[in-house]
Amino acid sequence: MTTRTREPLIFERSVPGKTGMDLPRLDVPPARDTRPAHLRRGGFDALPSVSEVDVIRHFTRLSKWNYGVDDGLYPLGSCTMKHNPRINEKVAALPGFADSHPLTPAAHVQGNLALLYTLQEWLKEITGLAAVTLQPSAGAAGELTGVMLIRAYHVSRGARRRVILLPDSAHGTNPATAAMAGYDVVVVASQADGTVSFADVTDASGKVQKGLDTLLAELGEDVAGLMITNPNTLGIFEYRIQDICRALHAVGGLVYMDGANMNALVGVARPGDFGVDVMHLNLHKTFSTPHGGGGPGSGPVACTAALEPFLPRPVVARDTRQEGEGQVARHSYRLDWDRPQSMGKVHAHFGNFGIVVRAMAYCLSHGGDGLKAATLRAIVNANYLRKELAGVYHLEYQTPTLHEVVLDDSLLAPYDVHTLDVAKGLIDRGFHPPTIYFPAIVHGALMIEPTESEGKAELDEFIAAMKEIAQEAASNPEALHQAPVLVGMRRLDETTAARKPILRWTAALG
Amino acid sequence: MRYLPTAPSEDRALLDAIGVERAEDLLAGIPAQLRLGRELDLPGQQSEQEVLQQMTALAGMNTPFGARFLGAGAYDHFVPAAVEQMISRQEWFTAYTPYQPEISQGTLQHIFEYQTLMCDLTGLEVGNASLYDGGTACVEAALMAVRLQKKRKTILISAGLHPHYQEVLCTAITPHEDLHLVLVQLKDGVTDLDDLAAKLDGDVAAVLVGYPNFLGAVEDLKAVADAAHAAGALAVSVTQEALAFGWLEAPGKLGADLACGEAMSFGNKLNYGGPFLGFITVRDSQKREMPGRVVGQTRDLDGQTGYVLTLTAREQHIRRDKATSNICSNQGLVALRANIFLQLAGPEGLRGLAGQNAAKAQYLQGRLLELPDFSSPFQAPFFNEFVTRFRGDVAELQAQCAKAGILAGLDLTPYAPELDHCILWCATELNTRAQIEQLVEVLARVPSLAGEA
Repeated sequence: MTTRTREPLIFERSVPGKTGMDLPRLDVPPARDTRPAHLRRGGFDALPSVSEVDVIRHFTRLSKWNYGVDDGLYPLGSCTMKHNPRINEKVAALPGFADSHPLTPAAHVQGNLALLYTLQEWLKEITGLAAVTLQPSAGAAGELTGVMLIRAYHVSRGARRRVILLPDSAHGTNPATAAMAGYDVVVVASQADGTVSFADVTDASGKVQKGLDTLLAELGEDVAGLMITNPNTLGIFEYRIQDICRALHAVGGLVYMDGANMNALVGVARPGDFGVDVMHLNLHKTFSTPHGGGGPGSGPVACTAALEPFLPRPVVARDTRQEGEGQVARHSYRLDWDRPQSMGKVHAHFGNFGIVVRAMAYCLSHGGDGLKAATLRAIVNANYLRKELAGVYHLEYQTPTLHEVVLDDSLLAPYDVHTLDVAKGLIDRGFHPPTIYFPAIVHGALMIEPTESEGKAELDEFIAAMKEIAQEAASNPEALHQAPVLVGMRRLDETTAARKPILRWTAALG
Repeated sequence: MRYLPTAPSEDRALLDAIGVERAEDLLAGIPAQLRLGRELDLPGQQSEQEVLQQMTALAGMNTPFGARFLGAGAYDHFVPAAVEQMISRQEWFTAYTPYQPEISQGTLQHIFEYQTLMCDLTGLEVGNASLYDGGTACVEAALMAVRLQKKRKTILISAGLHPHYQEVLCTAITPHEDLHLVLVQLKDGVTDLDDLAAKLDGDVAAVLVGYPNFLGAVEDLKAVADAAHAAGALAVSVTQEALAFGWLEAPGKLGADLACGEAMSFGNKLNYGGPFLGFITVRDSQKREMPGRVVGQTRDLDGQTGYVLTLTAREQHIRRDKATSNICSNQGLVALRANIFLQLAGPEGLRGLAGQNAAKAQYLQGRLLELPDFSSPFQAPFFNEFVTRFRGDVAELQAQCAKAGILAGLDLTPYAPELDHCILWCATELNTRAQIEQLVEVLARVPSLAGEA
């Protein structure tokens, strides 16, 4: 515990002559200077001269300004902030994994290749799809890989299709991904229960938004595919997913499933069984790998056999031979680079392997039965919060939800208290806020996902805090407008930050 | 299950409150025919002890090399204990993206410092919170250059760019049918300036050049940048070994408009190729085309200095299909490793470490060239990697090294016909003189093909 409320930038602590790194004694002659004069390194303007003590204290103090999963409930909807088991960190640091070089000949990294192969097999069983690549570095990279697989598939058949469809509830990465993959984005309307609409929908302002039937009829063979999140960003299962897949397939299009919410389905239902052609998984959500303050993540992609030839290369292959009198099966693994139809590469090496190791440990710990138990636990927890908070906060969609629930601030509007105020009020009550203002189809959304990692006591404390905030909205709204006041930092001026950006320290900044 | 903190009695209480008999009743929203009518065909749950045993066994299937002379985009450097200890604090590694700035100042200030350091190393003015790796950083830099150049649609890439980066770039550009990638040839292991000049027409948006390049050679970045600028193109410097910034002048000071690449060398393990650390820095005038997250300094209601994610109007969650990139996460924790590492090193540590790398590589090259079957195909200066040609069977050489517990350099034969029998060697501060002498001893015994052919 410390009462310090500010840690200066490290640059302000720099005093020439200090260092935090002593170098080993050089056991070869010093380097000859072979550089042309203009390529010799000049001075540094910011790199600080500080001791190890300074650095350790700096990062320890800074860390205390962060809220982590071990601090308590972290109910960010769609982000799936579950417990990060420590054994996963321990195994990822095993020298056999951590010290292995990505260009080592396959014979000397059989452990790595066996691990990659095994996790792929697990993910195939979990998704019900035929093939998996672990190369994409994050969810968005997985999306891009998936949509580019769709593109490669169409191109191989000589088809030029221009459009990707996606529902209005989609995460922002979906349209950005479709654009990066060279597609035009066309939005499909959602119907009153929050799922994708086949029919056209007239919104409150009288504007008609086109449903899936109209769009497929109009665009037909121009449709490359549809990107859909299931369960969607409202936590609602797209119950007509099979019909959606059939409708897309009927015009020759494919279906991409954003697997951000796969933690609601593991062990319970499989996208491959719905008719989905390709999807990504977030190892940093569903499979518990730490978020690291923004990354690294990992976004494996699973697909049907029809799309497998286009997967990024290399692909991990297993050869099996029978050995000895007992004819024992011996496996060996190799990297198959000879993939003539491959879309190419989406990472310089094999993706975020260290994250894959953690996810493998998570899978082994849980087993098939534990994975399913975690899914059900997450769904029960979310529904308990929904039951206790719906009514205190407005629930726009009454449709059953799975692992998360989206409430909103409309009941607090009479007091001029809004979602942002609720979020900041939660900070003063010791909780990380939920995801706010997303999905955009719910005005003032509070998207709450407790995950399976919370017990009843923690859920009850959160419910009490949310109820207290709702009461305070009526009794003392100004207190919520001022929140947070207890964490050492008040609300920050984001407008000036964007208008007059200061994006690095310079000596002039002081 | 040790990660599920709900007792059966509590579970009952939750289900009763919800008003259902069993958890499965909450799956009613999933049509029955779409539910998995069986258990997953996977092994059952296991204790921590059993998991550790299995994972240790897998790790044990990898050959433990006592010495490594392989770089080629993934570098073996010493990681100070302070780095591992600091990133193990839950406040760093379990936190999410800093969307709530009041309780994320640690992450935000760290990223602001990291951005500052990457600008300092590269001599440019604006950095972001990091990208996935060197390959995808090339993609983002190339696409950003095209956005900045509007009507120009050709991207020149030096053949000295890491071949995997080239493939990642090619993969990402493929859907953009209006864009063209054109390769500039090498001459003596560096970009052929004549070929570059011949290909620099009015459609070229940017030139991407390795600095140092894949073959370890130090390119004359200034000459490449000058040529690019004369033709109205942007110069993009791609660095696969960021420690070189302690030895070589900052790209921005040599005329590079954008710098990008791989910074895993700062405080990271090899991790079989990831997680690594993609970086990008640009000029101030270009900042609104920057991909990914950016942190800025501001003040809170009490006038206290603080940090926020900023310039978000560029990003996918606001701009959707018009965003500068679809990237949503970054390599946050790896950037934290780099930040801690660079602060520990400071200017003298970084220069000293880089100097040691150059010294080890020069010594290694000198010793190899004393062997009769090794020769040097290129004369360009290098940092910590260089190429030798071997008059013998490279696969046999690698196998002999492996037997002695040494990971040999990269066989370049598959990469280009003119690199037949060439090996890319790397030496860092971790390679002792004794290791180098042991390597030379092993190499001296590999059969020569001299006199054959």
